[in-house]
Amino acid sequence: MLRYAGFILVATCLAWAPTASANNSATVVEHAFGKATIHGNPARVVSLYQGATDTAVALGIEPVGVVESWTEKPMYRYLRQDLQEVTYLGLETQPDLERIAWLAPDLIVGASNRHRTIYPLLDRIAPTVIPGNVYDFKALLELMAKATGRVARGKELLTQWQARVEDFRARIQRKLGDQWPQEVAILSFRADHARIYYAGFARSVLDELGFSAPATHRKEGWGIKLTSQESIPAMDAEAVFIFMDDDPAVLRTFDTWSSHPLWKNLQAVRQQDVYQVDPVTWNMGAGIIAANRMLDELYRHYNLEQPDLRECAQC
Amino acid sequence: MSRSLVLRSPNDRWSVKLNVRVLLVTLALAVLLAISSVLALASGSHPTSFMDVLGTLANPAQSELALIILEIRLPRVIMAILVGGALGSAGLILQGLVRNPLASPDVIGITSGASAAAVLFLWLGGVTGTSLLLAPVAMGGAFTVALCITALAWQQGISPARLVLVGVGLAAALTAVTTLLLVLSPDSTAMNAYIWLTGSLYASQWHDVTALAPWLVVCWPLALIKLRHLDAQSMGEDMALGLGSALQGHRLLFLVLAVALAGSAVAYAGAVGFIGLIAPHMARRLVTSGHTGLLPIASLIGALILLYADWIGRVAFIPRDLPAGIFVAGIGAPFFVYLLYRLRRDLG
Amino acid sequence: MLTSLLARTSGTLVCLGLLLVATVSSLVFGHIPVSLDMLAASLMDYDPGSLEHLVVRTERFSRTVTALIVGAGLATAGALMQTLTRNPLASPGILGINAGAMFFVVVGATLFSLTSPSELVWAAFTGAATAAFLVYFLGQQAGRGVSPVRTVLAGVAVTALFVSFAQGLLILNQDRFESILFWLAGSVSGRELEAILPLLPLFCLALLIALLLSRQLNLLGLDDDVIRGLGLRVGQVRLLIGLVVIVLAGTSVAIAGLIGFVGLIVPHIARGIFGTDHRWLLPLSAILGATLLLAADTVARLVIPPQEIPVGVMTALLGAPLFLHLARHVRAVS
Repeated sequence: MLRYAGFILVATCLAWAPTASANNSATVVEHAFGKATIHGNPARVVSLYQGATDTAVALGIEPVGVVESWTEKPMYRYLRQDLQEVTYLGLETQPDLERIAWLAPDLIVGASNRHRTIYPLLDRIAPTVIPGNVYDFKALLELMAKATGRVARGKELLTQWQARVEDFRARIQRKLGDQWPQEVAILSFRADHARIYYAGFARSVLDELGFSAPATHRKEGWGIKLTSQESIPAMDAEAVFIFMDDDPAVLRTFDTWSSHPLWKNLQAVRQQDVYQVDPVTWNMGAGIIAANRMLDELYRHYNLEQPDLRECAQC
Repeated sequence: MSRSLVLRSPNDRWSVKLNVRVLLVTLALAVLLAISSVLALASGSHPTSFMDVLGTLANPAQSELALIILEIRLPRVIMAILVGGALGSAGLILQGLVRNPLASPDVIGITSGASAAAVLFLWLGGVTGTSLLLAPVAMGGAFTVALCITALAWQQGISPARLVLVGVGLAAALTAVTTLLLVLSPDSTAMNAYIWLTGSLYASQWHDVTALAPWLVVCWPLALIKLRHLDAQSMGEDMALGLGSALQGHRLLFLVLAVALAGSAVAYAGAVGFIGLIAPHMARRLVTSGHTGLLPIASLIGALILLYADWIGRVAFIPRDLPAGIFVAGIGAPFFVYLLYRLRRDLG
Repeated sequence: MLTSLLARTSGTLVCLGLLLVATVSSLVFGHIPVSLDMLAASLMDYDPGSLEHLVVRTERFSRTVTALIVGAGLATAGALMQTLTRNPLASPGILGINAGAMFFVVVGATLFSLTSPSELVWAAFTGAATAAFLVYFLGQQAGRGVSPVRTVLAGVAVTALFVSFAQGLLILNQDRFESILFWLAGSVSGRELEAILPLLPLFCLALLIALLLSRQLNLLGLDDDVIRGLGLRVGQVRLLIGLVVIVLAGTSVAIAGLIGFVGLIVPHIARGIFGTDHRWLLPLSAILGATLLLAADTVARLVIPPQEIPVGVMTALLGAPLFLHLARHVRAVS
C-alpha cells in the first residue's frame, strides 16, 4: 500500500513541478552523478560545499544559500564580505533540506563525497551538479561556469590563473636555480596526531606550480596520520608547509613534536625552510579564490615580487 | 484475572482470545502515534502549520509545500515509525529468547555486525561516500554476524547464556574493526561513518521506505503468530517441550526474526541503540500479558520513541540536524536507570 | 597447572623472561630499525647525534614504560574484578569501567575544555568510579547469587549508556571529533613520562595494597557467611579492593585510552598456569599483562608503517578469539 502511495505522490509532484517558461536555452551539464538540464542562466544558486561557495563568488554570483564553514564560523573571513545576504544551511555533512527547498534555487552544487545520498532529493528541488572530485578547483570552475552561463568569466579566471602560475614558475626557477624543483611536504597537526598529505587541494596546486614531493609521499590515498614521534623522519623534505588550527591542544602537540630531536634533524628544519601557512586557504577553501590566495602566500614566503596580473576584484 | 474477549469464527474453527487491556492500550498508543506523526509533519526548519499539512496531504497538486512535506518530512516520519517499530519488536523477541531482561539487538552483535560492514563499505567507497548499496551491505553484515554467533553458540542447541556471551565477544571484536577503519579513513568518511554509527534518519526518502517496509510486512505478522511459543519457553524447557513446542526450531526462528527486523532497521537508520532494550520494558509496565499481546505495544512504543527523538533532532538545533540516536540515548538513559533500579528486586 | 613451589618459581622465571623479550622487542622494532648492539650502545654509551639512539631513548622508551604500567594495571584490575564479582568474565572493558572513564574524559575535553593530562586523569577516575558503582548496583540481587551473564549484561548496558552519550557529545562538537579519535582507540605512544610520573605513587600503592590483601582475596571465593565466620571483614576488604580497581583501571584509561581484553584474558591465562592463589596470581597477571600489551604494541607498529594500528584495536583482535573460546565453555546459567 505504501509503495503505491509513494508512486502516486511522486507522480503528482513531478506533474506539479512548474514547466519551464518558453526559454529555449537549455544547457545540459554532465557531472559525476548524471546529467542536469538547466534552463536559462540560474540566478539563485545554492552551494553545499566550500569550494562551490568560493567559485560562485569568483564568478560574481552571491549564492542564496551556503553551508557553514568548519572554522571562522559562520563563513571564512576571506569570503565573508561577499556573502552578507546568504542564508546558512547548516553543516556540510547534513545541510537543511527544507531550507534549500524553500529558497527555490535554480541551481544546486554539491560534493561527491558527502551528498550522494541526498542527490535524488536535491535534484527534485533544482537542477543539481556534482563535480567528480572535491579538490579539482579548475574542473569545478569549468562546471559551474557552464552551469551558470558565465563561461566567459570562467575562462577569464582560468587564463589569469595560468598566467600567474607561469610567472611564479619563472621567478622561482630564477631564485632557486638548480635547487628547483624543490621537494616539499605538506603537514598538518591536530590535537592528538600529525598528518602528511599525499594528495588534495594544496598538493595539487603545488604540483601545478612545479614543486615535487619526496618519493615516500608519492603514494595512493589522501595521506597518513602519524601518532608516534618516531615517524617524524617520514615527514622529511627540502621544505615543509604546515597548517594547523588555532587551538591550544593543537599548538601544544606542535610544540611537543617540534622540540623533539628527530624534528630538528629534518632537512627542512636545518635549512630553515619551514613555513606555517593559512589552514583556511590551503585546506578548506578548495576554490579558485583560495588557490589565488595560496599563491599569494607562496610569493611571500619565497620573497618573490608579484606583478599585478589580477584584475578581478576577488582574486 | 484480566478481562478478555474471545472472537470466534462463524463455524467455530478459529478462535482468538484477546486481552481487553492490551487492545485498549494498543489503540491508545496507535492514536497517539497518529497524532504525533501529523504534528511531527507540521514541524521542521521551515515553519508550517497544522492546516498546511492537512491541506497538502489532501491536495498535493495545489500545495507549494508539497516538496517539503511529502518528499522530505513524510518519508522521514514513516521511516522513524518503521525503524522504531522494528527495533522494539526485535528487542522483545530477543529478551524473550534469551530470557534476560537486559538483552537487546546491540548486545547480540547484530548492530555491531551491521556497523562493521557499513564502515568497511564507507572506507572502501572512499571519496564516493555513501550510496544506495550501504543498506544492503549493512544488512548483510548483520546476518553474517548473527550466523557466526549462532554457529559459535551452537552446542546441541542454542543456550541463551552462551548466545549472549558469544554476542558480546563478537561485538567487541567488531567494534575494534570499526574503530580501526574510522581511524584510517579520511575525515569526511570518518564523519559520515560516525553519524551512521550514532543513528540518523536524515535524508530518508521514499525508496528507503519501500525497501524497509517488506521486511516488516513479512516478519512482524509471523512473529505475532509464533510468539506464544516464547511464553511456553519461559516456563522452562521441559514444560515447553511438554506443551508441544519445537524448542530448537522455534529458537532458531525467533533468532532469525529478531535479526531480520533489527538488521533491516539498523541498515537504514544506522546503529540506533536502546530502543530494542527499553521498548519491551515500557510495554511490560503498561500491560501484563504474554508476548503476543506485548508485541504490538512494544512496536508502537519503539516507534513513538524514535519519532520523538528524530523530531527533537530536527527542530531543536536548527539549522543543524542532529542524529536521532543522540536523543534516543537522552530519552533512553534516564528511563533505563529507573528500570534497572526496579529490576534489582525483580531479577531472578 | 603448576602446583609445587619449584614449578611455580620456574614458571615465574619463564614469564619474567618473556617480559624481558617483549621489552627488548618493543625497544628494537619499529619504523626505524634498531639492532641489538645499537640498543645496548644507546643505553650505555649514549650518542645524541645518532638517530637510532634518539629514537630508543625518547619514543620507544616512553612507549615501553607506558605499556608496562598500563598492561600491568589492566591485568591486575581484571584479576581483582574477577575475584570480587566471582565472575570469570569480568574485566574493566566488559564491565563498563573503561566506558565510564572515557565518557567523563570526553565531557571534560568538550564541555569543560580540560586539556592537561593531570586534569583528565581525575575525570577518568570519576568516570571509572561512577561506572563501577552502577554495575555493582545493578549486579546485586537480593539473596541470590550473581550470575555471570547478568553482570556481563549490566556491564554491557552501562557501556552502551556511556558510549552513546560520548558519541552524542562528539557529534555536537564535530570539530573536536578527530582529535579524540586516536585517544578513544587506545594508544601508548607519545605519552609524556613527566605526565605519568605523578600518577605512579598512587598506582604503586594500589598494587601494593592488592598484593598485601592476597590472603584475604583467596577467601573471597567462598560463601559470604563462611568468610565472616573465618573472621574476615568482608565489606571492608571489598571496598578497599574496589578502590584499588578504580585506581588501576582509571589510571590506565586516563593514560592510554580504551584498551580492552587485557584485563579479561590475562588473568585466565595466569590462573590456568598458576592456579587461583592470589599470592601468585596477582603478580603474574601483572607480568603477563605487561608482556601482552608490549607485544601487541610492537606488532601494531609493524603492520602498516609508518602508520600504526591503535593498540586497543590490536588487543581486541587478539583477545576476541580467546574470549569466544572461553564463552563457549561457560556452563549454561541463566
